[in-house]
Amino acid sequence: MPLPHALILKFPGTNCDAETARALKVAGFSAEVLPIALLEPGKLDTAQMILFAGGFSYGDYVMSGRIAQLITKHKLGDKLRQFVDKGGYAMGICNGFQILTQLDLLPRGSLIHNESGRFICRWAGLKKNASSPYLSELPDEFELPIAHAEGRFMGVGDDTANYVTNGRAALLYTEDVNGSSQRIAGLQDDTGRVFGLMPHPERFVNKVTHYDPDWNEAERGWGYYMFKSVREAIAV
Amino acid sequence: MSKAVFRHIPITPLSADELLDLSKKHKLSLSREDMLVIQAMFKEENREPTDVELEVIAQTWSEHCKHRIFGAKIEHTLDGKKEVVDGLFKTYIRNVTHRIMDKKPGFVLSAFVDNAGFVKVDDQTAICLKAETHNHPSAIEPYAGANTGLGGVIRDILGAGKGAKPIASLDVFCFGPPDTRQEDIKAKDVIHPLGIMRGVVRGVRDYGNRMGIPTTSGAIQFDDTYIYNPLVFCGTMGVIPIKDIEKEVKPGHLLIAAGGRTGKDGLKGATFSSVSLTTSSHEEDQTAVQIGNPIEEKKVADFILAARAQGLIQFVTDCGAGGFSSAAGEMLSTVGGEVWLENAPLKAPDLESWQVFISESQERMVIAVEESAMPELQKLADIYETEICKLGKADGTGILKVMHHGEVVCRLDNSKLHEAPRRHMTATWTTPKRGEDTYIPFEEVEVGNELLKMLMADFAIVSREPIIREYDHEVQGHTVLKPLAGASGDAPQDGSVIRVEGTQQYAALSVALLPEWGKTQPHLMGRACVDECVRQLIAMGANPERIAILDNFCMGNPDDHTELGALVETVKGMAITAEAYGAPFVSGKDSFYNYFKTDEGPISIPCTLLVSGFGVVEKKEHVVGASIRSTGSKLAIVGQASSGLAGSVFARMIVKNARDEVAFPNAPEFSEAEAFDAYERYYELVKRGVVLSAHDVSEGGLAVTLAEMGFSGKAGLHVDLSLVPTLDNTPVAEHLFGETPGRIVFEIDDKHAHLAEEAGFTIIGQTTDDGFLTITNQRQQLVHLPIKQLKPIWQTGLTEYY
Repeated sequence: MPLPHALILKFPGTNCDAETARALKVAGFSAEVLPIALLEPGKLDTAQMILFAGGFSYGDYVMSGRIAQLITKHKLGDKLRQFVDKGGYAMGICNGFQILTQLDLLPRGSLIHNESGRFICRWAGLKKNASSPYLSELPDEFELPIAHAEGRFMGVGDDTANYVTNGRAALLYTEDVNGSSQRIAGLQDDTGRVFGLMPHPERFVNKVTHYDPDWNEAERGWGYYMFKSVREAIAV
Repeated sequence: MSKAVFRHIPITPLSADELLDLSKKHKLSLSREDMLVIQAMFKEENREPTDVELEVIAQTWSEHCKHRIFGAKIEHTLDGKKEVVDGLFKTYIRNVTHRIMDKKPGFVLSAFVDNAGFVKVDDQTAICLKAETHNHPSAIEPYAGANTGLGGVIRDILGAGKGAKPIASLDVFCFGPPDTRQEDIKAKDVIHPLGIMRGVVRGVRDYGNRMGIPTTSGAIQFDDTYIYNPLVFCGTMGVIPIKDIEKEVKPGHLLIAAGGRTGKDGLKGATFSSVSLTTSSHEEDQTAVQIGNPIEEKKVADFILAARAQGLIQFVTDCGAGGFSSAAGEMLSTVGGEVWLENAPLKAPDLESWQVFISESQERMVIAVEESAMPELQKLADIYETEICKLGKADGTGILKVMHHGEVVCRLDNSKLHEAPRRHMTATWTTPKRGEDTYIPFEEVEVGNELLKMLMADFAIVSREPIIREYDHEVQGHTVLKPLAGASGDAPQDGSVIRVEGTQQYAALSVALLPEWGKTQPHLMGRACVDECVRQLIAMGANPERIAILDNFCMGNPDDHTELGALVETVKGMAITAEAYGAPFVSGKDSFYNYFKTDEGPISIPCTLLVSGFGVVEKKEHVVGASIRSTGSKLAIVGQASSGLAGSVFARMIVKNARDEVAFPNAPEFSEAEAFDAYERYYELVKRGVVLSAHDVSEGGLAVTLAEMGFSGKAGLHVDLSLVPTLDNTPVAEHLFGETPGRIVFEIDDKHAHLAEEAGFTIIGQTTDDGFLTITNQRQQLVHLPIKQLKPIWQTGLTEYY
């Protein structure tokens, strides 16, 4: 059986594409980094998953992910929606999560500047709040690195409380790191196939990149298990 | 504008004084001697230079580009004895490196000839490192200055070989103390150290993070002398296939410019950085500061790396100081060729010819390619959304001919252009007298406890965490040893370790600077900076035989004999240690005129040396962090303590707080031969996999080292000073807080402790389960504090200010 194919979109300013491709390959995908200039609707037919990687698309000077969203919409129109409706998977990591949120593929809400007003690079504790094809092989609590200036998720009215109850908020921080409402770290759509998160699973594929050499006996890190989870879900 | 705008400037009839006036009026930063040589050059050709030609010569001969002080003949007087230094660079840097290269063939693949020096990792892959300063721009516009400082050094790496991939950055700053009182700043328009610090950090953050290059190493020094002239060093490490290091421009190659457009930003940066700052700099020199756009650079970086992978690049270099004139000038320096300025895309239409040619607008690279590669290159430029243009062509004439809309605006013979007149300078240094050190008694444990707490809160020691967290140090997914680690990911390390893509090996990165010694002990500073940098790399697991270093100098006024004397002594010291350790210099840079003319007279920075280094860590099992791993381990020490507290953080703290007269005139001593022998024995233990953690002894001395190791949160530490090896009858203060170079404390499992002893190291204590840092002298307690109490003092020291 051929490996499931993941398409990683690369906008000017996307900068986590190489390590994301590497992580996907380790987890059993064939991965292709596609500069946005080469994107055309037909490309989606070749892939089982489309991935929006981390970085600063177009510099994120206007509003994080906004220009990337406009360009994607312009290039793909409804094709992305159809891709998901037909069973395709879409994942957004960090800036990719911001783009996915703008593309209306996830429950509504915004990722705004961290409460501290600063960029934050650290590791954060995470806990699963709902079942998700991206989280099936992970324990209830785990950790991943975060690195963002605009990772504070805000909803309208009772949105975020509802997301926690109805499981759209698939991933929560174990402690407040950026002021995110309800400590939301990751969201999914109602099919579970669209998933966005601020933490960086691609940076923790191997134990060697954990900050503590005594972390665990395992060879692989939690990020690997996130990609492996969705790999298994696609294979079924 | 569709025609060339340039003019001829009559210089052949002028007197020497008039020539100097002309140089000043046009801000050429050329000396009387330089101007006379230029005059002779044009008299010989029987014509007057154009403004473009004068600007090109000024940029090419500027201190910034030509490093004329490091090439000068210096008459140096040390303690009354005269010596002649026939070029600092040649004598103490290049020759040392060449001798080391002869001893270690195959390690250094190139040094001093390219944008950065390369060392071999394995048969296919090399790494390179470059560090630059951006002091003057950061003083007058901290955010933009630091932003483009990092952007510039990243381009150096993109322009190293046929285009190296940047994989990690370092940043080192020297600022005035954050708590400086505004009324103590003696010149108007000088930005308060807090404004400088915040602007600089954010500038580095916004460039590095957007480029997706992890900023993994760094240091900050705070001292009053940096209030007027803050220092900003930015460095970047790159990786490249060995086959892509060699590059050459041949006749027939097209020169293409790629990346950003050319504008009026950054005019005369090279000459601006070669003079001192004054209050008017803050008003007049703003156009010398460039404006950064990291996404533009990210696009051109993606383009270059893709083009290099496809074999389309014959030669590449960045547009740094001097802009096109230095990039194209370098590429055409022997082969000669034509440049067509009208092809360069402009930000605004009203640029004069000289402005197009020397503008330092950011994010531009110049690449030599085969004409036949143009269609493929255009395709890649479209994919990565960057702009390229045909800037010129190499023709084999040896003449640099610059055209603008069909007119020749500059025609210079390259062989003459690169021969700047040699400078002759005078330097002097007097070694400070040894004397009686003030004795500090440690009879009560409270004295030791209080002094250690004060030290942990000193700006020199406190955690840089608020700043470190602003930088993405994990992007690219290869950061193995992070700047903060330990059980809770917040304990300090000796540097960082990065996996080298495409290999099974790792690169350690570290920096060392000790400017306090630059004031009184420059020779020791030179030696100790090299030692500390190399020692940190080895502590982290680098092979001592596979380390290379860079030297970056900053100083005040080189025309002041004593200031230049300090520089000469620093360089001499640095060379001794580098040669003893077999650590070649592969690149370096210098920055002069870091002094500020206040109404009360000039204020200079101390002679400041940054040594940054990279070393190969051969296996992931060799990576050693600085955080204690377990209770019940033994603690061993490499090296020995010696008397002398001069220049230490402890001495500075005591002097600042003392009510009575105190003095610490004596500096510590160490031997390079003994130190390096010990490092090699330590490395044998690393290779056996028995070193659990290790931390260098540097600022704050042994007590601070032990506390920092304890910040991992996994165990307490107990050390008995009576077991610590010493060179002389070392007093307690030196034992606890002295900064003798050459020392590493390491943790080793109890069952392997005999291996450390067999290797000649002394066990000085153990890790405990009581959570205390305990330092005794036999039975007498000198320090006894819960680590949980010490850590917040250290961890929050900067949070109030950043």
